Amino acid sequence: MSNILVRTILAYLIIFVPPLILPWMFIKLVGLGGLRDLVTYEARDTPLHKLDPRLKVLYPVAMGILSIILNWDFMLIVFALSVIPWFWLKPSRAKIRVLMVMVIGPALTGFWSQGLYYLPPQPIHYIYQFPWTISWMGSPGITGYGMVFGLQQSARVLVTVSTSMLILVSTDVGDFTWAFERFRMPPAVGFALTAALRFLPDMISRTTLVLRAVELRGYDMSRPRWFQVRQWPDYVKRLSRCIVIITVPLLVGSLRGTTTMAMVADARGFGVNRRRGSLQEHPITKFDVAGYVILVALLGTAFVLNHFHIGARPY
Amino acid sequence: MRRRPAISSNGELVADDVSFAYVGATTAALRHIEFGVDPGEVVLITGVSGCGKSTLALALCGLIPSRIPGELRGQVMFRGKPLSAMKPHEASQLVGMVFQNPNLQLINQTVVSEVAFGPENLALPHDEIVRRVNWCLEVTGMEGMRKAATVTLSGGQKQRTAIAATLAMKPQILVLDEPLSDLDPVGAQEVLATLQRLARDEGTAVVIIEHRVDEVAPWADRVGLMDKGRLLLDQPPRQAWADPVPWATTGVGVPDVVQLAHALPDAFGGVLPLSVGDAAEQLADTWVVPALAAAAEGRAVEAASGDGSPDGASARNGRLAAGTAVPSPWASIAGRPTGERPPVLAWEGISVEFDGKRAVNDVTLRVGEGESVAIIGANGSGKSTLVSLAVGMGTPSAGQVFFRGQPVQPGKVFEHSAQVALLLQAADEMLFEDTVIDELKFGTKFRALPPNPVLDVEGAIDFFGFKGLEQISPWELSQGGRQRLALAALLVGAPGVLVLDEPTTGQDAEHMRAFLRLLAAVRKRTGLTVITVTHDIRGLASHAERIVLLGQGEVRLDGPTRHVLAQTEELKRWGVLSPPLPRLQADLLGHCDDVLLSVAEFAAAVGAYRGVPVEHGMPAEHAMPMQHGVPAERAGGT
Repeated sequence: MSNILVRTILAYLIIFVPPLILPWMFIKLVGLGGLRDLVTYEARDTPLHKLDPRLKVLYPVAMGILSIILNWDFMLIVFALSVIPWFWLKPSRAKIRVLMVMVIGPALTGFWSQGLYYLPPQPIHYIYQFPWTISWMGSPGITGYGMVFGLQQSARVLVTVSTSMLILVSTDVGDFTWAFERFRMPPAVGFALTAALRFLPDMISRTTLVLRAVELRGYDMSRPRWFQVRQWPDYVKRLSRCIVIITVPLLVGSLRGTTTMAMVADARGFGVNRRRGSLQEHPITKFDVAGYVILVALLGTAFVLNHFHIGARPY
Repeated sequence: MRRRPAISSNGELVADDVSFAYVGATTAALRHIEFGVDPGEVVLITGVSGCGKSTLALALCGLIPSRIPGELRGQVMFRGKPLSAMKPHEASQLVGMVFQNPNLQLINQTVVSEVAFGPENLALPHDEIVRRVNWCLEVTGMEGMRKAATVTLSGGQKQRTAIAATLAMKPQILVLDEPLSDLDPVGAQEVLATLQRLARDEGTAVVIIEHRVDEVAPWADRVGLMDKGRLLLDQPPRQAWADPVPWATTGVGVPDVVQLAHALPDAFGGVLPLSVGDAAEQLADTWVVPALAAAAEGRAVEAASGDGSPDGASARNGRLAAGTAVPSPWASIAGRPTGERPPVLAWEGISVEFDGKRAVNDVTLRVGEGESVAIIGANGSGKSTLVSLAVGMGTPSAGQVFFRGQPVQPGKVFEHSAQVALLLQAADEMLFEDTVIDELKFGTKFRALPPNPVLDVEGAIDFFGFKGLEQISPWELSQGGRQRLALAALLVGAPGVLVLDEPTTGQDAEHMRAFLRLLAAVRKRTGLTVITVTHDIRGLASHAERIVLLGQGEVRLDGPTRHVLAQTEELKRWGVLSPPLPRLQADLLGHCDDVLLSVAEFAAAVGAYRGVPVEHGMPAEHAMPMQHGVPAERAGGT
């Protein structure tokens, strides 16, 4: 009896502890305020910053395609390639913290959930087989096969996440707008992206401020310790109520801001012409040429290999 | 009461009998405005909050009625063409507007892309965009920051970027709505210098709407006073301030040096000074200098005599020269000198780091029970970071904060907010309920009221003047009313310390006085320790008992207000301008250990030396009749 109890407790810990590490990591390493670093542009003078914006827009798209069509072995190469530019960029510590959570979070989720629920063909070799007291929930145990599969899937997602983040951090929004216009997209698309990327950090800062204000007014947002199980439902209730409380000041503040912003955009002539001028000329440099060549070569090679069923993803 | 503006309906930009009412409003925001601006002019428009200044700015820029719906009568014209009929981007190439909050008008991520945004939208050729951007960055002094991300800029740099972006549309006239409200004095000077350069070198007309008249006065060619939607006067500065009556009746602030000239008309020879430099020059060879020196010596002798207090504090607490009792703005509630009071809050060896950068560096600071302390410093000097640690907001990388000897735990804001009430600069963000009464009860829903509260809900309603307003929405109150409500709600309970973070930003002189009166009443009733974080040295900090100057995260000066404000050079070194009167005393006396803070004190002190009691309050009989900046009797005599 005690054996089954111990095994059940162990199984519960295996199922629930790793996913709970995610919010813990987020709160400890990033926090709500830290989210503002997620999409903020870091003005530097690196080769990445100087690349043709069109190439930068195409880069995550191309890497995303590679991550879809290649199998795991080749995916490792693509994943490694997607990490290399970060070493050129040398992002700030705050950015690295956010990125680590953004990378480790999905990786851990994929790795663990697939380990629990992706079952190999029989016979199955479990790393740990769950007792009947928990296997009825759907997972008979955790397998190395599932974990590896989860890692592969996570890596596919991370290639796109990593490349997109790299471009967001190293590209001024004005350059995005320029690239979109060269791709014949309407200026409003560029402006929407501009506004979102510029004001998202402000919105996060305001949310942090209002959350502080509500605590200063005597609203209890203190989190119980993990072992204070009885206090957790009340904490969740308080958190839910808080969302209602802070909504009004957040909305009022945001609406006020958007009115001014709309007037500023109007006054600066936004939307007056279908085509815009540009401060940047972005002449094609040898770096850009090299970038385009590498991108085309990667895609071309992948498609050729795929055609000959080398490194192709099994469907 | 209404005076027709002396200069009206002339100029490049003309408001011709303009009236405007917002949709649904029962009263007009603008009434029969006659106003004109010429190239190269700098015009200051001031008035109490809600008098219609910002509405006038929007009308002058053509954003009324195209973007602000309402009923507009009369016309705003640029070189004879009606601006109100133009589209915003057409109008903005003639009259550019810089809004109050730079954060809301910087759309792009870098300085250079922000400045280029307008010309790019106009689809100008590349060379023209480059030319405009370079010119705008150069003229606003932002050339060195062209690639900087806008989120990393200081307040002054953001405002200059906003000005540069507006200038990129090549307007002939620039209208700025309270451009200095969020800036420290040094940031304000940067912006004003930029504007003056534009007017002088480029011929751009500049209309500045601002409460901080002391700082703008030396730069203005004309001053306009608004009240209840009307332009009461519009004259060159010396003429505008020659008659104090309209200013006194509207409650609008007048520069300290102008007030001083009205209080000591014979010392100034009847000519109103507009800056500290003007005043110092006018007073240099007059009886005021020896009188000031004697008064300073008298204070020093009293201080040295001990007078029963270790630092001679009581000697400086109101008693100046013999027989000239002046109500002190820093009378101690606790009745004991600062050093003798037990500390209610103590920061011991505090350092705070953000991303490896030290925002606060090894600060040790103790605040006694019942003390009133102002923490001043340039933007980014670590003021707000330091005080927020007192309620558990933020985590020090070194050191410990104590409240009445007990450590303040980082993150335990709920617990510590019962001991330390912190009023944020954005007081509106602290209101969450539908009615005033619910707002006051908000805290008591989550925490039982202590047995001996500083204020209970009923007491707060009475004390803060919300009787009869209990059931209205907080958003129906004025901005000052909402701030009062947030303060009242924080004081319901038993906090031991009240911390105010930039409580008077963007407020006019009348609201400032009302807030100071309220604060004095709160201290008198509750005996609370009050810590104020501010860059409003003239209005707020000079009313504290003690000033702490932070510079680059460290305590640079800490002492009685009169001593700290006398250190004009040291203050300037750390990005803070001492108020006009202390600077004037420093200019006249070379060096002084302490300074007189108000016009009343100054006038009384020098008056006592002369044996002539001098009253202050700018009564009409002290007004100097002026003719174009020259006293009438002089003008008539020549």
